[in-house]
Amino acid sequence: MAIIRGRARKVGAEVFTASMADIVFLLIVFFVLTYNTEVDHTQVTLPETWVRTDIPKKAALISIDSPSHGEVIRVSTGEEMSLPVSTNEEVVTFASNVVAQDPEKEFIIKADKDVKYEKVDAVLDALKQAKVKVIFLLSNQKTVDG
Amino acid sequence: MKGIKKKSVQSEIFTGSMADISFLLIIYFMVTSVFSATRGLDFQLPDESQTPPEIKQEDAIDVHVAADKTLRVDGQVMPLERLLPYIADKLKQNPEKPVILRTDPNATYGDMIRVFDELRQAPDKIGMEIKTISIPTQREIQNIWALLGVQ
Repeated sequence: MAIIRGRARKVGAEVFTASMADIVFLLIVFFVLTYNTEVDHTQVTLPETWVRTDIPKKAALISIDSPSHGEVIRVSTGEEMSLPVSTNEEVVTFASNVVAQDPEKEFIIKADKDVKYEKVDAVLDALKQAKVKVIFLLSNQKTVDG
Repeated sequence: MKGIKKKSVQSEIFTGSMADISFLLIIYFMVTSVFSATRGLDFQLPDESQTPPEIKQEDAIDVHVAADKTLRVDGQVMPLERLLPYIADKLKQNPEKPVILRTDPNATYGDMIRVFDELRQAPDKIGMEIKTISIPTQREIQNIWALLGVQ
């Protein structure tokens, strides 16, 4: 058996990492541009609709939790984290204060699709009393599959 | 004269830790970012500064969503697919005819949205726009009934 004398030539196994920095920066730019600060972390199953319009950023938000979570109402000005409220009067007071500062402020209703309409009706009534001009009913995109 | 070689000082920015910082930023954004829903159905409330036009129930198309999801249009039980063709017939006679959407308090929010979404699709499905869709609250309905003397 022949023995090869001398030093064996090493084959370097390297992963090409030069483009890694480009990919990483691309991802960072993507996240920076699409980053949204969520003011409300209520987990709801939104109703699905075909018609959907863009909701302005920083709109005030009223969320209604699912029936399994007690249909808790939370309010946020769109700048701060949402806080729970216990009565409809508190919703009226909150909305009136927001409208007093900015009469053109839009409101979003983020409610679970299984919430009793009675609850949403009370919120709508509170917003009407506070003289809110535009309300957005948050929804997911409806698809052919349903 | 014997020349002395000058020692050149290399100026370099240390970039070794750049990858670590970048990955840290990516992980932060991935963990904290949320795919939030930022679209929905818009709903314009009447301007309080203007006198709202008085809408009588008999002048409008009355759409009622019952607690058992049944849809009643002007008192007749109707499947959702028949709603827009029925409204199209009415709008041909009077394009200004408003639609009043009433929902039973015991129905779900999803039931109401399903019908509201259908009404908002009128321009695409029947080629006509419903100029006024009114969603009265229970308090408003009770006030109207009290005015009419209905118990």
